[in-house]
Amino acid sequence: MINQTQLLLLLKVTILAFILGSISLPIILELVSPFWLLIFFIYWLIYSDSNGIFSAALILGLLLDVLQGAILGQNALALIVSSAFILSVKKSFFVSNLTTQQVYVFIASLIYLVLFLMTHLVVQGLQIQWLILFVPFTGALMWPVVRFLLAKLKQ
Amino acid sequence: MRLLKLFVPVLLSIILIFLDARFSYLDNFKRFTLTLLSPIYVIVDLPGHVIDWVNDKGTENELLVSQNDYLEGQLIELKAKLQTYNNLALENQKISKLLESSYFIPDHNVMLARIKSITQSRLSKQIIINKGLNDAVTLSDLVIGSDGVVGQVSEVTPLFATVKLLSDPTLHMPVKNSRTGARGITKGLASNEKGMVVEFIPLESDIKIGDIFVTSGIGNSYPSGYFVGRVKSIDESPNSSFMRVSIDPTQNMNQLELVLIVKEKND
Repeated sequence: MINQTQLLLLLKVTILAFILGSISLPIILELVSPFWLLIFFIYWLIYSDSNGIFSAALILGLLLDVLQGAILGQNALALIVSSAFILSVKKSFFVSNLTTQQVYVFIASLIYLVLFLMTHLVVQGLQIQWLILFVPFTGALMWPVVRFLLAKLKQ
Repeated sequence: MRLLKLFVPVLLSIILIFLDARFSYLDNFKRFTLTLLSPIYVIVDLPGHVIDWVNDKGTENELLVSQNDYLEGQLIELKAKLQTYNNLALENQKISKLLESSYFIPDHNVMLARIKSITQSRLSKQIIINKGLNDAVTLSDLVIGSDGVVGQVSEVTPLFATVKLLSDPTLHMPVKNSRTGARGITKGLASNEKGMVVEFIPLESDIKIGDIFVTSGIGNSYPSGYFVGRVKSIDESPNSSFMRVSIDPTQNMNQLELVLIVKEKND
């Protein structure tokens, strides 16, 4: 179960991620912008010791799918599997320096992107703008900023 | 145990993907959840609202008067053009009667809506407008701009509606060539920001570069006669039974602020 403090933090990071993800940007920036929910969820995940992580990932992913008008389950599946990766390296993540953490965020974003595109391929065919492949890089680049801001929010 | 904890949500997601892609059982759930989440849209749109409000307050009286004069002039000009159009429509009706044709010019209601500065999934081309169920917007309503079709309402909440743009690969619209009447179906290209093709036009149909495609109204899902796109290139591959016609949308989507929702009049 998720305790009250962690639930409150999860609520805050989710709302922030949803708002950031809904802000309209020029098309190029929109395509390369990070998977905000994933990055914010990673932050919550590394400071959380609760059991309901995959269920939380499922619910948040589904909410994002509805909010973005995506295929129901598309973001959910990607978020669950990416969270499983972060959980498997959680101990190392916690004690790593910022650069190593960025590498972990990059890999998690890559897993997310692959699953996201695979779902799209199966349901609608693979017609994409190639700039989307830069998303793991921008995710890794944004990690220090997100970590700093969320640390302030957590206090 | 941990694998099982991972397996169940993954399986659930896959089932939901399958159900959502193949059936429409989950549409009501999606609509309800989107309504609950719509305060997020309100928050995201708030800065835009504030900027509009400040601009409105800061606009000088003189500027407003001159804008009003200009718009009145435009209105008179359009009314004059409309007289010619009404005349043509009457002529057309007379000729239709003489020819015993069942063709008639449909009468539509239009409603003005403003585009919200909110983004959705990066793989789909959608916009959010500030009219919803409360304003009688319904699913599948046609949305047009001043130069042509913008798209179709794909989701409605009480305050907002999502419009799938014409260039979205999942939106298919029956169209016809305004010059020759050749019919086809549009499809957007995800790899190109505003690229579109018209499919299912038989080979050797009379299509020329620069021809205009308009909504055909087939199936009564869309009103007919609204501009969709202008032919950019034609590809006649001998291996296919149909030609591939690339078109550019007549409506520029980039600087669009206001759109019209078209509804057929119910007498």
